[in-house]
Amino acid sequence: MFKLEAYSKLLVSTSVAAVVAFSVVGCMGDSTAPSGSDTSVSLDIDGGVSYPVVNNKTSDYYVNPQAIGAKINNGRVPNAAELAKWDTDLQPATELSPEGHGIPEGSGSVEDGEELYEAQCVMCHGDFGSGGGGYPALSKGNAYDLQKTLTNNRWKDPEADGPTREFGSYWPQATTMWWYIRDGMPHPFSDSLSVDETYALTAYILNINEMFVDGVEVDDEYVLDRAKFLKIVMPNVDGFEPVISGANALPVVKAYFGKASNFGGRNLNQGATRCMSDCQEPTAKIKRIQNGGIKDFIPAMNMTRDLPKKEAVAIDVKKTYTESCAMCHSAFLSPGSGDWAGYTPKGMDKVYANGINGTEGGMPAKGGADLSDADFKTMVDYLISGKIK
Amino acid sequence: MDNKKSQDLNTIDRRDFFRKAAAVSATALAGTSLLANESAGEGDPAIMHHTKWGQKWGDPVTKNQYGIPSAYEHNVIRRSTKLLASGNFRASIAVTPIHESQGIITPNGLFFSRSHGGTAHVDPNEYRLMIHGLVEKPIVLTLAELKRYPSVTRTHFIECPANGGQEWRGPQFNSVQFAKGFMASAEWTGVYIKTILEDLGLKPTAQWMLAEGSDNSKMGRTIPVDKVLDDAMIVWGQNGEALRPEQGYPVRLLVPGWEGNLCVKWLRRLEFSQEPWYCKEETSKYTDLKPTGKAIQHFYANEVNSTVTSPSPELPWTDLKEGDVVEIEGLAWSGMGTIKAVDLSFDGGKNYVNANLKGLVLSKSWTRWSYMFTIPKNFQLNGKQLLLTSRAIDDAGYIQPTIDQEIGIMGVEAVYHRNAVETWEVTEEGKVNHVQIRSV
Ligand code: HEC
Ligand code: HEC
Repeated sequence: MFKLEAYSKLLVSTSVAAVVAFSVVGCMGDSTAPSGSDTSVSLDIDGGVSYPVVNNKTSDYYVNPQAIGAKINNGRVPNAAELAKWDTDLQPATELSPEGHGIPEGSGSVEDGEELYEAQCVMCHGDFGSGGGGYPALSKGNAYDLQKTLTNNRWKDPEADGPTREFGSYWPQATTMWWYIRDGMPHPFSDSLSVDETYALTAYILNINEMFVDGVEVDDEYVLDRAKFLKIVMPNVDGFEPVISGANALPVVKAYFGKASNFGGRNLNQGATRCMSDCQEPTAKIKRIQNGGIKDFIPAMNMTRDLPKKEAVAIDVKKTYTESCAMCHSAFLSPGSGDWAGYTPKGMDKVYANGINGTEGGMPAKGGADLSDADFKTMVDYLISGKIK
Repeated sequence: MDNKKSQDLNTIDRRDFFRKAAAVSATALAGTSLLANESAGEGDPAIMHHTKWGQKWGDPVTKNQYGIPSAYEHNVIRRSTKLLASGNFRASIAVTPIHESQGIITPNGLFFSRSHGGTAHVDPNEYRLMIHGLVEKPIVLTLAELKRYPSVTRTHFIECPANGGQEWRGPQFNSVQFAKGFMASAEWTGVYIKTILEDLGLKPTAQWMLAEGSDNSKMGRTIPVDKVLDDAMIVWGQNGEALRPEQGYPVRLLVPGWEGNLCVKWLRRLEFSQEPWYCKEETSKYTDLKPTGKAIQHFYANEVNSTVTSPSPELPWTDLKEGDVVEIEGLAWSGMGTIKAVDLSFDGGKNYVNANLKGLVLSKSWTRWSYMFTIPKNFQLNGKQLLLTSRAIDDAGYIQPTIDQEIGIMGVEAVYHRNAVETWEVTEEGKVNHVQIRSV
């Protein structure tokens, strides 16, 4: 049995090699070292610091040493049925694991997939997986062509085409699709599709992405099964770094994140400086928010500290008319009167707006009443029609 | 004698005078409007008048047996926007009002909330956690059994790696809540996964752990065993109480410092394996596309970052004038270590001074910083409007890049992990605008 202790030792020995000095460089001769700077830190797999337990403390926290290594025998062993019920994840076939994990026997056709898609998916994901309205696209066209857009970068030209990151062009593995459809879709009622239905939907999505499996086009007649599924090679399978597959994955990942320039980071121990004066790139200038930016906040930004408005209840139209409108509107522009014919032709939007903002002809904004826009419109509707809806 | 009498009379007269004067001024006051100018001598009505709450009974202690904020605080809330919502706000995010945040703890009701299939409401009696795969002994735990392990309590932020991710190509949000509020911080209580593994025995070939939620999206992520054996926790406590449903009640994973979505909510299963998984949220999303066409997968830690939180577009300096002394305040954080220093610039990152750290400075935690500042005329220095830029440094040696430096490597299509310095411009009226200082 593998001992955690041994593992911790392993971690310690690798981190010793990564012990680095913390230093601060000011490019203009500035020597303001951050207060209490550590002389050494050990780096973790993420490129960050790990805080091993020293003198019963990890960073600033005390730990109970008795709790470390205590073997606590809680819970029970799940039975085979329980494990099978929850162990529904899929892993792709790899050199280490040629059969992958969790890829079940079964099959489904593009034809059945399309039927299922039209019945259970199209309302959100659109025709042929085009997406829209906040719902992700499942295809934007030919996967192999679109994979080539991944080097597109809208550096300067906001009108330029960006990269297309849909299933076909971007995802490294098809297992993700199968597993997610089976466990996570359809969104309003997940975990409701059978194995064969999931194969059919996967086949349909391969089809609309114009993909090939083992040299064969996934055309309208195609039937996908487990054997064929294992042969799917996604166009962008090699599009990701660091490499996470293989027996030696963790040191590879650790080496990747040990180098700040791999991920756009800057590290004072890796050549970056803490510049204190005259630091800016000479070409840099102020870039402001364009066209007002994004501000459809729900709810709207509001800093006031008042009492919340009472829950909107349907207003009493007759009472509000008597209290807030009748004093002026009983003789002219009275409820249902013909006078309104002189006002409504300019369009109801204009009429509402004039009422809300007031007019020079003597209509005070909202008639001076404390009404929400919606309630005021209800009142206008009543004045014009003479009827309570 | 006469003398004494006159003295007494004098005294009485004076008493009388004061009594009369008091009566007169009371009458005068009763007649003045509440809006009278206090400097004219009537006094501030907030002081001079009885308040609604000052005379009558307040609520009995039997009211609000779970306390709620003052009704006047009803605008201090999480907010969302359609841009960040998939469909009907079931795969979406609501962000924290960090312009109103105090200290380094976010109240549970304001903790940012992100889900992929809506907020699940889990019955704690039916809660089960299964741990299996490359372990000698797989187990299933009830909630009570889980909570019997020795607990640890840690203060950590959780940040969505898309915090600031809408602004790679330029500023978009004139709001610190939306520009930087995809994060929050809390004191979490739970058990280290390594404590549970002492009993289960991890097999030597195990490299990866799958964490999976029980919500309708079965949200999953792959975590390397290094982190599992370091500080990854299974937590049930948040700021002294049970997790909120939005935070994964009754149990979530906490992977200190790492992408928020690795902290899987409504956690039901941990599986160990030699090969990794390829979950939707680590392939389709949460991968950083570089200009080379390659994308970073398994980008774990939220890097060193900071922002000014006061002033902000939400709470600007429009009430301040030249010569007023004010505190500039902000947050700094790093998922890769402990904040060591924060620098502050008044000219958008050309020149920096040292800001002061303030309060507790904990690893992988929000850290407050502060700088005392005298308001210059028209909010200008050397004839230019103030451009407040903060820059944080952590104990791993990471320092925030400029925008040019970051996009020089990452391009502008990465979506996640944007940690370049953030700039806030103060206008002549003391309003605050979100801007960026960059070459393209
Ligand atoms: C009610 C709307 C709705 C329906 C119906 C629906 N989905 Fe989805 N689907 C979503 C949403 C929302 C997401 C994004 C979830 C997220 O962000 O985590 C999504 C995501 C997906 C994704 C991942 C896309 C990506 O690029 O990450 C796939 C694949 C998918 N759905 C397939 C299906 C299939 C197949 C069906 C029919 C069986 C279906 N969906 C039905 C709303 C829906
Ligand atoms: C103080 C008098 C007064 C009150 C109170 C008042 N109105 Fe008016 N309203 C007017 C006058 C005068 C006009 C004609 C204005 C003009 O022709 O520019 C008018 C016009 C309008 C119009 C037509 C606006 C346009 O130009 O198309 C609407 C709609 C309207 N009122 C609604 C209401 C409603 C609803 C109330 C009660 C909630 C109300 N008003 C209360 C005086 C008043």
